[in-house]
Amino acid sequence: MATTAIATPRHQSLALQTIALVPGLLLLAAVGYAGKVIEQSIAAYTKSHHITFPNIEYVLWAIVIGLILSNTIGIPRVFATGVATYEFWLKAGIVLLGSRFLLGDVLHLGGISLALVAIAITLSLTFMHVLGRAFKLKPKLTSLLAVGSSICGVSAIIAAKPSIDADDEDASYAIAAILALGAISLFTFPLIGHSLHLSDKAYGLWAGLAVDNTAEATAAGALYSDAAGKVAVLAKTSRNALIGFIVLGYAIYWSSRGQAEKVTNKAAFLWQKFPKFVLGFLLISLLATVGFFTKPQLTSLANLSRWAFLLTFAGVGLRTNLRELGKQGWRPFAVGAIGEVFIALLTLGLVYGADHYLTL
Amino acid sequence: MPDTQAAKPQRLLSADIFAVALALLAALLVRLNLIPSIKW
Repeated sequence: MATTAIATPRHQSLALQTIALVPGLLLLAAVGYAGKVIEQSIAAYTKSHHITFPNIEYVLWAIVIGLILSNTIGIPRVFATGVATYEFWLKAGIVLLGSRFLLGDVLHLGGISLALVAIAITLSLTFMHVLGRAFKLKPKLTSLLAVGSSICGVSAIIAAKPSIDADDEDASYAIAAILALGAISLFTFPLIGHSLHLSDKAYGLWAGLAVDNTAEATAAGALYSDAAGKVAVLAKTSRNALIGFIVLGYAIYWSSRGQAEKVTNKAAFLWQKFPKFVLGFLLISLLATVGFFTKPQLTSLANLSRWAFLLTFAGVGLRTNLRELGKQGWRPFAVGAIGEVFIALLTLGLVYGADHYLTL
Repeated sequence: MPDTQAAKPQRLLSADIFAVALALLAALLVRLNLIPSIKW
């Protein structure tokens, strides 16, 4: 997943930092809500005029509106801080989404996801390094692209960067390539899923295993169906949980070659890199399972999660600047793109193979 | 944008914990019926 980098100088007071968030937050809310209104308006119009028209989810409208704004008039600086919180809302939304899962289902599907993730990560990391050598990329840039495309996109790159002592430039290339590929997968995955007539569970698992950033994986799942979105989040969360182990592996590898600092406390390293929202998700799921919430309260929590995702999807469109991504050079993008296609095909094959275990 | 983000791993961590805390607080408020039912 991408970052929640809130670029605020240290000398600013908390009040000023909070005020700086307001314009961007309002923009996220306006774009997301506009997407919801468009979906409802089209549905109401087609229903009242007896027109058969496929329902286009607010997710797509919010992303498209955001993309148009950021790539035409651009996003003024005053909005940047608030828009950057979209990842924050994603994490809060994922924690709240735990209320829609029984813990047994989480462990069942999460277990399947983890097994598939382990296979996919091993093969995709190997493949990415072969590709990196073939395209003559710098080894650390290849490492960053490999963790980005195998684990959880931009946040995996950010977690790995200081651990393997990679250059800022390499990190920027890898992040740009992963963001561009994430934007492409948003539009291609649902089309492929529908053309292959994948079930909601199979598609959700595929999106969760193959799409890099958590925001894009959540959106790609929700674009298919509500049920697919739910499964995509769970599969992606399982994948995110492994980030610390992979980054630790790379840190040990590069330090053994004398090109990164040695990891002295591995447990502390793993905890530092572990995405904490996974624990929040499991806690809410446990509480829902033991009957801590009533049915109407569970509905409220699920709706709260959807409102949080609405802000996230608006942010996905608003932060994607296609011109900026185009400036980053073709080779990292080519390696990332070929790697993504490989990972998409590999995980699709794995999901087909595991389909009869998907009894969520 | 990307390199600015890459330079702030610590801030990322605190935002992560804050997001979890906010979600858990919201869940508690819903549980205690301190906020009205949330519609979509």
